[in-house]
Amino acid sequence: MSGKYKTPLLDELEKGPWPSFVTEIKKAAQSSSMPQMADDELGQLEKSYSTRLGYWKHGGIVGVLGYGGGVIGRYSSLPDEFPGIAHFHTVRLNQPSGFFYTAEALRMVCDIWDKYGSGLTNLHGSTGDLVLLGTTTENLEPLFAEYSSRGWDLGGSGSAMRTPSCCVGMARCEWANIDAMDICNTMTQHFQDELHRPAFPYKFKIKVSGCACDCVAAIARADLSIIGTWKDNIQIDQAEVKKYADAGMDIQAEIVDMCPTSCMSYDNGEIKINDAQCARCMHCISKMTKALKPGKEKGATILVGSKAPIVVGSLLSWVIVPFIECKPPYDELKDLTEKIIEWWDDNAKPRERIGELIEAKGMRPFLEAIGVPPQPQQVKEPRKDPFFFWAESDFKK
Amino acid sequence: MEQEEIQGKIFEYMQQMKGKKKLKEKDIIKKISADTGEEKDTVKKALRAMIDVGKLMYSYGGGASSVEIPSEEYLKEKGLI
Repeated sequence: MSGKYKTPLLDELEKGPWPSFVTEIKKAAQSSSMPQMADDELGQLEKSYSTRLGYWKHGGIVGVLGYGGGVIGRYSSLPDEFPGIAHFHTVRLNQPSGFFYTAEALRMVCDIWDKYGSGLTNLHGSTGDLVLLGTTTENLEPLFAEYSSRGWDLGGSGSAMRTPSCCVGMARCEWANIDAMDICNTMTQHFQDELHRPAFPYKFKIKVSGCACDCVAAIARADLSIIGTWKDNIQIDQAEVKKYADAGMDIQAEIVDMCPTSCMSYDNGEIKINDAQCARCMHCISKMTKALKPGKEKGATILVGSKAPIVVGSLLSWVIVPFIECKPPYDELKDLTEKIIEWWDDNAKPRERIGELIEAKGMRPFLEAIGVPPQPQQVKEPRKDPFFFWAESDFKK
Repeated sequence: MEQEEIQGKIFEYMQQMKGKKKLKEKDIIKKISADTGEEKDTVKKALRAMIDVGKLMYSYGGGASSVEIPSEEYLKEKGLI
């Protein structure tokens, strides 16, 4: 261990059977080309633990020439005490669709990072980018030159399109109703300009999930959620249903009673589904994988507006297009996305996400602007009608 | 209008607004497009060309990104002066 600082409080977090971030930072203090970074990171964190105060600042002017994103400025507010982390910028690298890497690719990323940074990474941030923790301003240009010469590019940050992300889709999941990875890659390529050059009122995230199990949490974390679904009926194999029952599954309690729209019944050993009432939530399919499968007419549901609770409260995405065929080259999806962004960009205040703007202005002008007709599936809350504002004359009867 | 002339208008506007309002890229494009009658895409290209060579730069503060005239420190850091 480096031993520059005594860290009794952090050392407590090395105890126990699990991997410890403290141990990893201590290792970085030995292996990185800039060991003072990880050392001072430990020193400052120990101080934070004892004083219960944070000593980080972020923001400002930091990045590579021509790009407006991809680097998040991070500074210690105690640079004299911890000079190794006076600059401790975060670098985001655009991850491949579905987070697929070869071991060689990861070694390459890490070797370059050891050369120019602290050697610390938490691998993937919540947006999806490959996140590298801690480098200096003067190292940014050479670091970027080396990554980009090897086929890597920076991800999004600031008031820009954020790096789109997706689940593993058809690459290793039987439930993928859309090619999530191809859609993610296509959208990433199509919106390169918006990703690297921040021109929006605030961040805009796209996430693609192959089905409603939603492994990338698109419905909770993306301004534009693309979630695979199907239009026709769930495929049922009644012989396999019987096998589940024979194996002890309580189909009534675990499947039928858990259906959020109560569209299922289980009589005489057979499952029956009223598909017109099915919300395509995937609960039954994911519980009875051998007996139930998504329908054959596949596509995506497009939802808009979710966000974490920065600025105002958190929101979940809202269905805008119940079903869209998602087939290459995805022109319909690209056009719709561009219209959504244009309306938001024209109307939003600084730091206003699209979900907040729709809440402020109403769904009607939004739907009119993007050319999508009102549909029952868009109604978010059954006891509110968000599309009609009643006039006085409506109450005279 | 030649790109250089549009860039002159952009820089003039940026100087006027310095210290008064944080401008995002779209604000500048809309304003210069309205003033000059040039297409937004033409203004956007002119603006991007300025950012690429460090005549203007992206900045970030208060949670939002903006475009600014670069400081001497930034130009030195990027080896532009």
